[in-house]
Amino acid sequence: MGEPQQKSLIFPLKPWFWTGVHKIKMKKEKIILKGLPASSGQARGRVKIVNFLKELGKLGKGDIMVASFLPPDFISFIKNNSRIAGIITDKGGVTCHAAIVTRELKIPYIAATFYATKKLKNNAEIAMDSKKGIVYEC
Amino acid sequence: MNAEEFKKIKGIKILQKYNLPQPKTIFIFDFKKQEKEIDDFLKNKRIVTIRSDKRGQTDFCPLSVGCPKNKAKQQIKKLIPKGYVAILQEYIPIRSRVSGNILILKNYILVELMGTGPLSLLNREGKVEEQVKLKRGNLKEVEHFGKRLISKKELVKILKLVKRVPAYKLLEFTLRSKGLYFWQMRDDKTAKELDI
Repeated sequence: MGEPQQKSLIFPLKPWFWTGVHKIKMKKEKIILKGLPASSGQARGRVKIVNFLKELGKLGKGDIMVASFLPPDFISFIKNNSRIAGIITDKGGVTCHAAIVTRELKIPYIAATFYATKKLKNNAEIAMDSKKGIVYEC
Repeated sequence: MNAEEFKKIKGIKILQKYNLPQPKTIFIFDFKKQEKEIDDFLKNKRIVTIRSDKRGQTDFCPLSVGCPKNKAKQQIKKLIPKGYVAILQEYIPIRSRVSGNILILKNYILVELMGTGPLSLLNREGKVEEQVKLKRGNLKEVEHFGKRLISKKELVKILKLVKRVPAYKLLEFTLRSKGLYFWQMRDDKTAKELDI
């Protein structure tokens, strides 16, 4: 018999609290969209497409907000509602006010996907990896 | 009133430290006391830009990109009682070639650009038409997104001016055929997470 394999004294897998980020298991087979990683993190939730200010009320806890962009009114709402799991927009970038606010609030955000409001359907379950700027089908 | 308490004003003043070109600017804290200064500024101008700043409110302060000279004083008068400081600037036509933000990271520089229009379109409405990521040391392009609005050579020329600026600062600029202007420099500590 050969020598037993030396086991690492360090945990074989980093527990989530070591990294500070709770990593969400994602089924990464199908990429639906790609965009610019504006605020890193991972999220999984139901799509809620928001076109107008009055539609912000339909966002429930853990939903992923999908919008054309985040105008000032939307940003005020987001600042006061930490229930949003993630944000995806058609337009935007890394240096826009919206991106800076999402990074401050640690909300995963993928910008400049061009087609998020057209390609994603309301209530569809998706996963997003905003460090890579990728949206997956769940 | 201490101007340094106002982040936007501080961000405009710091441009001088780095010798970055900027439009002629005056800050109005008190309309009555500074009325003559305003009149002098408005002389020989048809249009001016009026921005504003408020303590504890860095974003979304009232803005009039192209304000006719005869309405400028009225606009300033309205801002000051609401707690804003008016920032009166030389008007830079919105038919500028390109405007954008330069984000200085530890090892990289990230540039986001848009074509014609006021820079508020990029900052407030997300009009990002090009994104370029370059190595900070040699200004070599490492990533590109969108359509090319500006040649690599021109971009490098602009970035050489901001090489001394420390990391996690965001610079707003406009490039016209007649020259380059920087609008302000802001802190963006949240950008640390982008420095991979």
